[in-house]
Amino acid sequence: MGEEILDAQAREKEVPKKQFMTFRCCNEIYGISLENVSEIIGLTQYTSIPETEDYIMGLINLRGKVIPVIDVRIRFGKEALEYNDRTSVIVIQVKETIIGLIVDGIEGVADICTDDILPPPSVSNLRAQSQKYVYGIGKVNSEVKLLLDPDKLIHDAEEEEYEEQEEE
Amino acid sequence: MGDDMITEGMLDMFIFETEQGLENLENICLDSKDVGEFDDDHVNEIFRIMHTIKGASAVMMYQNIATLSHKLEDVFYYIRESQPENIPHAELLDYIFEVSDFISGELEKIKEGNESDGNADDLIEQLDAYLKKIKGDTGSGNASEKPAAAPASAPAEKPHFYIAPVASEASRFYTIYITYAKDTEMANIKAYIAVNSLKRIAEDILFTPADIISNPESANVVLEFGFKIALQTTEGPDPIMELVSGSSGIEHVEINECTSDEFIAFCAEAEAPISSAGEVLMAPIEQPTILVESQKPQANASSEKPKGDSAKQETPAKETPAKKAPAKKKAAAKKSETQSFISVNIKKMDLLMDLIGELVIAQAVVLQNPDLKVPGLELSNFNKSAVQLSKITSELQDAIMAMRMMPLKNTFQKMNRIVYDTSKKLGKDIELEVIGEDTEVDKNIIEHISDPLMHLIRNSVDHGIESNEKRQELGKKEKGKIVLEAKNEGGQVWISVSDNGKGLKRDEILAKARANGLLDNRSEKDYTDKEVYNFITLPGFSTKKQVTEYSGRGVGMDVVVKNIQGVGGVLDIESEEGHGSTMTMKIPLTLAIIDGIIFSVAGTNFVTPTNAVTEFIRVTADQLIVEPDGEEYIMIRGDSCYPLIRLNQFYSIKNGKENIEDGIVIILNHEDRKIAIFADELEGEQEIVVKPIPNYIKKVKGISGCTQLGDGSISLILDTGGLL
Repeated sequence: MGEEILDAQAREKEVPKKQFMTFRCCNEIYGISLENVSEIIGLTQYTSIPETEDYIMGLINLRGKVIPVIDVRIRFGKEALEYNDRTSVIVIQVKETIIGLIVDGIEGVADICTDDILPPPSVSNLRAQSQKYVYGIGKVNSEVKLLLDPDKLIHDAEEEEYEEQEEE
Repeated sequence: MGDDMITEGMLDMFIFETEQGLENLENICLDSKDVGEFDDDHVNEIFRIMHTIKGASAVMMYQNIATLSHKLEDVFYYIRESQPENIPHAELLDYIFEVSDFISGELEKIKEGNESDGNADDLIEQLDAYLKKIKGDTGSGNASEKPAAAPASAPAEKPHFYIAPVASEASRFYTIYITYAKDTEMANIKAYIAVNSLKRIAEDILFTPADIISNPESANVVLEFGFKIALQTTEGPDPIMELVSGSSGIEHVEINECTSDEFIAFCAEAEAPISSAGEVLMAPIEQPTILVESQKPQANASSEKPKGDSAKQETPAKETPAKKAPAKKKAAAKKSETQSFISVNIKKMDLLMDLIGELVIAQAVVLQNPDLKVPGLELSNFNKSAVQLSKITSELQDAIMAMRMMPLKNTFQKMNRIVYDTSKKLGKDIELEVIGEDTEVDKNIIEHISDPLMHLIRNSVDHGIESNEKRQELGKKEKGKIVLEAKNEGGQVWISVSDNGKGLKRDEILAKARANGLLDNRSEKDYTDKEVYNFITLPGFSTKKQVTEYSGRGVGMDVVVKNIQGVGGVLDIESEEGHGSTMTMKIPLTLAIIDGIIFSVAGTNFVTPTNAVTEFIRVTADQLIVEPDGEEYIMIRGDSCYPLIRLNQFYSIKNGKENIEDGIVIILNHEDRKIAIFADELEGEQEIVVKPIPNYIKKVKGISGCTQLGDGSISLILDTGGLL
């Protein structure tokens, strides 16, 4: 009886594995759930839009669809880098919104067991602005990937809350 | 109740058909309002409409609608059968409109997913009273006829119908076999409608599958195996044919006369459970057979049928699809004789439209491809083909545009009703003249102008035209009249509403504007009529002291203007005090593909619709006037002075040209105002497909959308209205 339960637990442990698209940005490796990723394209010409947030670089044309692109570096409050041929755009879809993320480079796809995903260290310990978009830290072998919450990454609602907290 | 068995599709169709019926009904009524009576065709048509609505709503379990339409049907049944004279026509029209309004109201509720909970009892009582009255007028000798129409009222519960099962000498027996086109929706309902119409002549009627009402699955059975009816009646086959073939989607009707024994045999089989419905045979037939086919190439099929060969029923799955395909074509061909329309889901049209838009852009991408700009390339053949391609795409574009064009007829017809209602309530004698109702406008635009148009019409009836007494006092001889006119005018559609009423009162408007603090320090005389009249389009502006049911709250005109602007149009007001006013909506023919001028500021491209551009001009430094507060104006040809917007400053674009002599000034007009825009360079002209800016990006002032340029890049569309 007891063994059966253990067996079942073991089986359950094996099943939950999530796939993440991993990319490089500011010397860290980030992961974003593959469910959200539609495709990866090279950075093409984009049209900047006046009067928008600085991280919104502009609009690109994806086979007739107009999608906004945001620079993840600037979003994380880091210095913008000159784009080069490694620079890629990860097109993600979060609910109805389709957005391109400009990243330094693509790493690959990582399978991460849900058990290996740890909650991020509490906010107070980490100053980096990028941390507030991270919902978990995934371990693959010895490497650590920062797993991003795409919703928070593209929307601002949370940001204001954090700002308020920081002020306190 | 019964929600679980009523599918979405059924509901859609119910709403669609009922709405169409009501629309027809109103049109008939409005047509006849001047004649003062319904002719026979009208009576029959109304009777048929109410009958259909009644049947359909009973099936959908909307008892309130069913009983109400049944009541009106009764009235028309009486009118049709007894042909009473001196029917109070206006009163009847009112009742019809009330019924129609009630049902539309319920439909709205149903559409929004609410319960249809309206109570029509009062109206039913009134109709009853009315019916009694017209019966009283003509003597009630015909009263006995009425019950014949009655038994249909709540049929939903009964599995099948025995109506006066008396076999008389004159009775004849028929088996009727109906097949429906494979794509018919809700064939069970159609079948029920057929049964319902047969009930009028039936002495006895039975059908299989018997559970067409209670079991939505039966639609499939009907589609697959056809629908069989056994009918006992005194009528010949022709009226039966007429009754049965009334509903849509019927592919084939077969009426066979049979003996009473066969009839009973059929009835016995019909009693069998539905699962065996497919196996139920048609009674073998030696009697004259009437085959009604839409077209001929059917020899093999019809030779098969009279045999009553069971094989046909036993292997229907294999055989029918093969037969269905040609049959379907026939049905379409037959239709084209009567009306050559197909209804297409608007989403498909939109998709096609989008794709053609993409095609136009893709073509530009190919034809303006940088690879072609290599010097010394021999391109003459390429250019020839390119011209050919451009021709085809532009024709294609015209074709899809034409497809989306709809005549304004329906919209205008609705206005008829509004004039009728409003003028009646206000006790004004008003006539509506409609001109150019065949003018065609893009479907999207029609949807947007219906409300503003309604408002303008109401305004004219309520405020514009004086009451009858007032008109007499003023010595205005002619009847109050509203002219609703549509015409094409240089890429635009002008829809105007003019009345011969009292017109706008300049003084009153000015006084009100002063009270509201809308006037600046110019003297009142300096305001042009146009400027003055435009005050009435401001929110909350109403000179009307009394708020009526229809207007006077000062909301409305601003909404009208907003709606019109929403589709890129403008409202033009003209008026002559004492003689009436004219409101003209000037609306672009289509929104989707427009001609645009492309210009750039420091590498960022902008597009503006060509029709918004008045001129391009290179100005010299001395034409630039700078006010102390930093505002700049451009003086052109010594007499016109326009405010200048430097796009690079306006949008904080770095590296834009600063010297006014280096760049180009574009004069844009919006309604009656003009502004000058300073940009770096003109890039060219292109047909552009307007796309919305993704929601993710907040609204930017002066940017109304974006588009794809020939090189595949995205350009922002500058909206003059937004810059002002």
